Amino acid sequence: MSSNVASRSIGILLPLVVSLIVSGAVLLAIGKNPLDVFGLIATESFGNPRRIAATLSAATPLLFTAVATAICFRSGVFNVGVEGAFLVGGLAAIFLGFTLPATWGFALFPVCFLAAALIGAIWLYVPGILLAKFEVDEVVSTLMLNFIAVAITGYLVNGPLLSPLSGNNVTPLIHEVAYLPRLMPPSTLHAGFLIGLVCVAAYGYWCRYTPAGFEGALIGLNQRFSRAVGISVPRTIVGVMILSGVIAGIGGAAHGMGQMHRFSDGFSPGYGFTGMAVALLGRNHPIGIVLGAILFGALASAGTTIQLFSNIPLDLVNIIQGTVMIFAVVELGRISLRRKKGTANAN
Amino acid sequence: MQPDARSVALGAVDLHKSYGSTKANRGISLSVMRGEIHAIVGENGAGKSTLMRMLQGVERPDSGHVVIADKQVTLSGPAEALAQSIGMVHQEFMLAPDLTLLENLVLGEEPVTRHWGPLSRIDWAKALREGRELADSIGAQIDWHRRTSSVPVHILQFVEIIRLLRRGCNVLILDEPTAVLAPPQVEELFDLLRNLRANGTTILFISHKIGEVIALADQVTVIRQGKTVFQSAIVDTTGPEIASHIVRDAPQVETQPAASPTVNGETVLELNGLTARSLEKSQSLESISLKVREGEILGIAGVSGNGQGELVECIAGLREISAGSILLQGADITAETTLARRNRGLAYVSADRRHEGLTTAASIETNVVAGSHRAPPIARSGILSRKNLRQEASKRLAALKVVFGKVTDPADSLSGGNQQKLVFARESAGDPKLMIASQPTRGVDLNGIAAIHGLLRDFRDQGGAVLLASEELDELLSLSDRVVVIFEGRLVGEVTSPAGAMAQIGQMMVQGDAA
Amino acid sequence: MQIEQILVSTLILTTPILLAAMGGLVNRQAGIVNIGLEAKMLSGAFVAVIVSSATQSWFIACLAAALSSAVIGWLFSLTITRARANMIVAGLGLNILVAGLLGFILSWVYKTSGTLRQPDVVLLPDVLPDAFDKIPVIGPALASLDPLTIFAWVTVFCLPFLLTNTRIGLWIRATGNAPHVTRAVGLRSLAIQDASTAFAGFFAGLAGAHLALASLGLFNEGLTAGRGFIALAAFYFGRDRPIQTAMACLLFGFLDTTQIRLQTAGFPPKLIGMTPYLMVLLALIFTSIRAQRKARL
Repeated sequence: MSSNVASRSIGILLPLVVSLIVSGAVLLAIGKNPLDVFGLIATESFGNPRRIAATLSAATPLLFTAVATAICFRSGVFNVGVEGAFLVGGLAAIFLGFTLPATWGFALFPVCFLAAALIGAIWLYVPGILLAKFEVDEVVSTLMLNFIAVAITGYLVNGPLLSPLSGNNVTPLIHEVAYLPRLMPPSTLHAGFLIGLVCVAAYGYWCRYTPAGFEGALIGLNQRFSRAVGISVPRTIVGVMILSGVIAGIGGAAHGMGQMHRFSDGFSPGYGFTGMAVALLGRNHPIGIVLGAILFGALASAGTTIQLFSNIPLDLVNIIQGTVMIFAVVELGRISLRRKKGTANAN
Repeated sequence: MQPDARSVALGAVDLHKSYGSTKANRGISLSVMRGEIHAIVGENGAGKSTLMRMLQGVERPDSGHVVIADKQVTLSGPAEALAQSIGMVHQEFMLAPDLTLLENLVLGEEPVTRHWGPLSRIDWAKALREGRELADSIGAQIDWHRRTSSVPVHILQFVEIIRLLRRGCNVLILDEPTAVLAPPQVEELFDLLRNLRANGTTILFISHKIGEVIALADQVTVIRQGKTVFQSAIVDTTGPEIASHIVRDAPQVETQPAASPTVNGETVLELNGLTARSLEKSQSLESISLKVREGEILGIAGVSGNGQGELVECIAGLREISAGSILLQGADITAETTLARRNRGLAYVSADRRHEGLTTAASIETNVVAGSHRAPPIARSGILSRKNLRQEASKRLAALKVVFGKVTDPADSLSGGNQQKLVFARESAGDPKLMIASQPTRGVDLNGIAAIHGLLRDFRDQGGAVLLASEELDELLSLSDRVVVIFEGRLVGEVTSPAGAMAQIGQMMVQGDAA
Repeated sequence: MQIEQILVSTLILTTPILLAAMGGLVNRQAGIVNIGLEAKMLSGAFVAVIVSSATQSWFIACLAAALSSAVIGWLFSLTITRARANMIVAGLGLNILVAGLLGFILSWVYKTSGTLRQPDVVLLPDVLPDAFDKIPVIGPALASLDPLTIFAWVTVFCLPFLLTNTRIGLWIRATGNAPHVTRAVGLRSLAIQDASTAFAGFFAGLAGAHLALASLGLFNEGLTAGRGFIALAAFYFGRDRPIQTAMACLLFGFLDTTQIRLQTAGFPPKLIGMTPYLMVLLALIFTSIRAQRKARL
């Protein structure tokens, strides 16, 4: 029990500590005092309400992608395709946002979000059913689907959906009535952040207070046991994939309608993968996810200003993120993310 | 034993080994003479595998010695045993399925044309020559270029043996080599082993099939409850005598006689011609028919690996069947899911407690309510109530007097006996009609065993039907109202008053008939 | 487009994918799916440009690129084999980490963002004399052969031999297939896996060097443009067999070549770009269904 708490806190602290050491070493190498820089990052990201708003704005897409990842990871389904679902969901929402008549007004919100959720769900249903029915390795299938999503959305925004007004790689802007309201103008923090928090809360509720969430955790821990007590493993796998797609799609819609207001080639600079880092760092726990998303949001928003003022390259953020991802999955005698297939052990 | 001028190739002197409070070996002595085939027989759990591990150097004995070539030795591990020419063929073959037989033969000790370390070119011609010569010397026909996964299992066994010979072994330990073989393959293996003996190789052969021992071995040693209880040349003994030593005078855990000799309740479970194909080395099932009535414990006796595990899985809905039907309280459940079967009143206590009976990493409360988490009182209209879950969990745990710290502790924190009680607490909740209990007391201490036996009896006495599969013959006899014997996937006999029928059942278990 | 031009361009565009795929397939045969090829290609390209400029030697540049990426591969392998990190997440993390480090160095050391130009970068030489240009059809392709392209294709045809006939080749295949067997016969399976990941790094480094030194002579953060993943797609599609994988690489190189031409013919280039991934997905589905059918029999 106490060892459980200890191993859990090591699991959370290790990637953070290692990434601090790595980035600290990098900073030392260029003759900067790491403590000064980390202090600067802290003040730049949390120093005043405007900065906090920028941090939360940067954290917004990560809330969605982290939840979408965590839903699958805690069920032992290795879905790395949240990025793709985020893209196709986002494009679906944007498409409806500028295609449907502006006179629909507020009705555009539910329509766009539903469409995004639906497209996201279908997108991840495919690898889900392939895994459940034919044991197609979900890691490779979702990875490939990410590239396919990039290609399809890239094709659409450069072809059929290309804005007639502006140059390359962008769709038209969505109707202004479909913009998610800003929470603290002039900051870009928008209502999508609140939707993200709702998603995290819903995820937390799903984990603890629904039979499906209960079953997800069980198949993540032990598929043989789950089958023996009457849980349908294939159905649960497909279910968590669909849920993951729904959340990722909604995330894409929120990002599109709140932040970008159009779809472009660089719609997601890897939110799906950063979300994975967040979920891993937060150990799939709702509070961990919120904290992790804010941490990475802080790095992203502070990184820009740090680069401006102290000349430290923005890439420091990627160094930290990459290190977190690698060391979040390092095992120190604990079992994480390792699927136990339902094979009988020879005795 | 008669004085013998020949030398001991492999032996043991008064070996003791304990794991915690379990005494696995408590005085095993053994002398395998050079050039003989020596069989070790004993029930599951008699201590054979512990003995093997010590002979291989995987485990150190607490006291006593291993003897190799007349000298007392302390082995550091299988590598040293191999260096002393002792090789072991495990039940799980150490062959990579995607490589060819020849590649597997030389892996780790490749003949090379020139010594360039890891970059050396392998001399496949030489390897093939060696393989063929060794195969010829023992009379085996092997196509060395075939992919391992496409080769019949007895050939794989030959390759394992040849690999050990190639590495210079002259003492071979074979762990239940016939368990995975079909009868004609067994004949081939025996011919090959006889050839090996003729070439001067010593063979230690572990089995629980008496017929095979009589057919093949020169000497037999019987182990029971961690001790050597009988040793003889095959020519001086008989099958029934060996059988009597395997199962004789085991202490009864509880001597209470079975409650009702004649049961006239309604049929709860009925199997008609249940047949299942073999998947990945599992035993196939051939046309099994049986009935279990209300208020009855039906025991399934059988040497492990004869299909009792597969049968139980078929009934629980965890294994596909290819023909036949399963009826639960008259309703055909053959095509139903595990969940549907459970909802009809089927309870299942898995033989593999740590991997199927429980999720050891999950909390005690999760383990004890899993399966009931979609139904009231735990879940109502799709919402799972943590409060009701905890209440239900506590109620179930209290009903079976499971001893635990907190309900949120992992199931791993419980002792073996309490883990199994937890499983029973889950499975007996919700008023099941049929309890399938597979090896319910495996790895459970004496107190736990008594409690679990009590649970099964109570369940039976309250009108429940129990299907009990156990390799503990004493347990089976003391609990069951009837016993059926399974042998190589078929039911080969039924005993209606099991109490005094130990010898008869043992005979059927090991030989497949009551002759 | 002239057939000669298509051949030349396909050959050149295939090389980096091919090199990375050869390393990756050996790695996968040893049981490690290397998602971090992209990172090692990128670092290889970077090192190649720096060293080529500093030493005026394409050969030393390639060697340095290969060795540095091999070291990165080996360290990466340690996190997987020794610290038991999940290879997929660690690989994705490595891609981000290396891209971050290189971007950081670019900005801090070279005061530039995105693209690094160095003076006097020596490009890969043409191996055959220009006279070969005159041969019809294949002439221009032969004349444009560079050392790394030749090395890549030599590797394609040597690898099957090395994997079947050397001890290390056998060990690698055995480790990927059944690590417990390798351990049981006394081999150090983890060290074998580390060696194979270092090997993959070596080849990914060469792939990066080719990207940077074949014609560009500069380093760009987007230089690899997902080619590490195309290589992954190639050896998944080629089922880890060198010749089949090379054919997949050729196909992907050809698609890359024709992308621009097909665009003018009305085919959207982005959709052509997704062909490798779609092919892998379909191949994966096909083989899984077949494997399942087989298991049921």
